[in-house]
Amino acid sequence: MFEKLEAYLEEISHFLSGRGEREEILSEIRSHILEKAERESGPLTASSIGNVIAAYGPARRIAESYLEGREIIAPAYRRYLFRYTTLLFAAHAFLTIAAVIFKENFIFFPFLFMPRLGVIDAFMYLPTAFLTDLGVVALILYFITQSKKDVKLPWPKFSVDLDEVKAPKKAVWNILGLIPMLAVTDFALYLYVKHQTIFFASLDFAHPRPLFTPDAGARYSLIVIAMFAAGTLALLVKLFTKSRWVDTVSNVVSLALIGFLLRQPFDHPFAVSVPEPFLPKIKFGLKFALLFIALMVTIDLIKNLIHIGRRRLAR
Amino acid sequence: MEPEIGNFETEMNRGFLQILVLALLEKDMYGYSMVRTISDLGYVVEENTLYPLLRRLEKNGWVRSKWDVTEDRPRKFYGITEAGRALRTQLLAIWKKQDEILKHLMKETSHV
Repeated sequence: MFEKLEAYLEEISHFLSGRGEREEILSEIRSHILEKAERESGPLTASSIGNVIAAYGPARRIAESYLEGREIIAPAYRRYLFRYTTLLFAAHAFLTIAAVIFKENFIFFPFLFMPRLGVIDAFMYLPTAFLTDLGVVALILYFITQSKKDVKLPWPKFSVDLDEVKAPKKAVWNILGLIPMLAVTDFALYLYVKHQTIFFASLDFAHPRPLFTPDAGARYSLIVIAMFAAGTLALLVKLFTKSRWVDTVSNVVSLALIGFLLRQPFDHPFAVSVPEPFLPKIKFGLKFALLFIALMVTIDLIKNLIHIGRRRLAR
Repeated sequence: MEPEIGNFETEMNRGFLQILVLALLEKDMYGYSMVRTISDLGYVVEENTLYPLLRRLEKNGWVRSKWDVTEDRPRKFYGITEAGRALRTQLLAIWKKQDEILKHLMKETSHV
């Protein structure tokens, strides 16, 4: 006769937390259901208990009514879950790319050890890194929520707000971006076909003086032209679709090309005379600039991935 | 067409039910008896709303509780505390003020 009641209480218990509290809640519900069944339908039967249970409501809803106001992460902090995860994962992804490109370990004791990774290793590592970052941020926000203190969480002011997911730009902006990109790509191709390089030490095209040696100049030029072409192609495709996947693929291609560029040898690449002491400084400056670009592209890539994820969740 | 008032009604009931329970518990009562008494007064309260509310009130010290195991079926009796009485006084004052404001507004708009 009481099987249904016990099953119902067991189901409510499944959704409740806190052992002592749970038992007291269940005892009270049991007492109420039995009393109501008896008072309103006479001697207890499986059917009368079943009717009272049905009127009492679904187990999960009952349990949730007791858990009201006990959020794991307070609504005010929920947006920080994505914000901080984005930042943390951007740093993680950037270090992963650097570990792949430079084939080196990175240690930020005691927070992070980034082992030397191959490309396949990196692809296996990144999803785990994302889940770890999400978990760490969620845990911190959980502790802040449970402390019941009004903690004002910091958020750096970027020129681009990572949290802000803008609507895709209108086609006219794509066209305005596409025209100069197309012109630059075409001009670079023209220079390459004519001179086998796009880098010159002087702007006198009647008597061009290549900046790099023929071999280095050809390699650097082809990679940079490929980057221009990828950007142009992405803008062209975006005339026909507003999918964020276009930007995502473009970001991945750009990162691959930057990585490829960074891995090119840089031993005496100049065709013009450069004082020997300046070479390491130039090399450092170029690497720094490329890594900065890679960081920006990585942030943009993660923004796009989060936007895609959000849209899927919303659906 | 009748407007859908489900959520609004729930929100309004939430505040009213707190005052109602604090008023009712001047005399010790258990859950089922409270449901019946409220029902006899012409108001409907769902058990699954009442019990969590009682628990919240008790956690905040506005209501106390005690299990009575002297009869066949154990029953959890609730009664108001001094802090609960003070809260009830404040809530009634707010409710009275709100009622006055609404009456005043309705009186004004009835002339329009």
